[in-house]
Amino acid sequence: MSTETLSQVVVTHRYDASPERVFDAFLDLAVARRFLFATATGEMIVAEIDPRVGGRFTFTERRPDMGDVRHVGEYLEIDRPRRLVFTFGVPQFDPRMTTVRVDIEPDGVGSILTLTNDGVPEAYAKGNVEGWTRILAGLLPAYEGVHGAGWL
Amino acid sequence: MEIWSRSLEIEDLIGLFGLIWGCVVVASAPTFIQMVEYMPLDHTLTALADPTRRAILGRLASGEARVTEVAAPFEMSLNAVSKHIRVLERAGLVRRRVSGREHLLALDLAPLEAASRWMEEQRAQWAWRLAELDRILKEEKP
Repeated sequence: MSTETLSQVVVTHRYDASPERVFDAFLDLAVARRFLFATATGEMIVAEIDPRVGGRFTFTERRPDMGDVRHVGEYLEIDRPRRLVFTFGVPQFDPRMTTVRVDIEPDGVGSILTLTNDGVPEAYAKGNVEGWTRILAGLLPAYEGVHGAGWL
Repeated sequence: MEIWSRSLEIEDLIGLFGLIWGCVVVASAPTFIQMVEYMPLDHTLTALADPTRRAILGRLASGEARVTEVAAPFEMSLNAVSKHIRVLERAGLVRRRVSGREHLLALDLAPLEAASRWMEEQRAQWAWRLAELDRILKEEKP
């Protein structure tokens, strides 16, 4: 089980669909373009997927408030239907990439998806960031002793 | 501890948060004004990325202290410690109060609330995407 950290986002969702169907949605262009980097008000103008390890994807969405936003990434691990790992970034804002890991487990007739987005470039040791949370966790009791609880 | 054997360089952290910032911009499609709000995160996390500065925060967690008291445990010049303190002040994690000839420092963890809010926005955006997939799958249910 992963531990949520200061720069890591973990989201889970249960689907009434088999792990295979959920998994395929990420690599099936027609489905992926509708949810993956889409927003409610944007229009997807470019959607390309090369679904193999080392293959890349591009999703460009035209948004009313900020113009064309191009999302790119590369598939690092494709293990149908259990796991999909890809890098993800938006070069117009920053050339570096984050890593997104999608884990899918069967749950009765459905499945449970856990998505982990590490906001950390691959070059960083994971522990560096996890450590922040630990340090802060250590600070808190002392701080709350002085200032009272509930600051966060 | 192995985790802390290598501290991140400031440049690394600025880059890192530039990245995360970019991510936020994409994830939540904020307005430009909202984008600007994320910039203090760079300062917050840069400040937290150094072991000396974390130790200073640890010292201040138990209450207000003089600059000289804060500097005492470190084998570095007062000037060097002052530079660290300035980084913490820039991030808003440390407040300075001048009382007569004394400079008193106090911890303020409020900037971390901003970091927490940012995390929540990120999480919400991914949650939205996954819920959207749920909708699509139900729609296409064979």
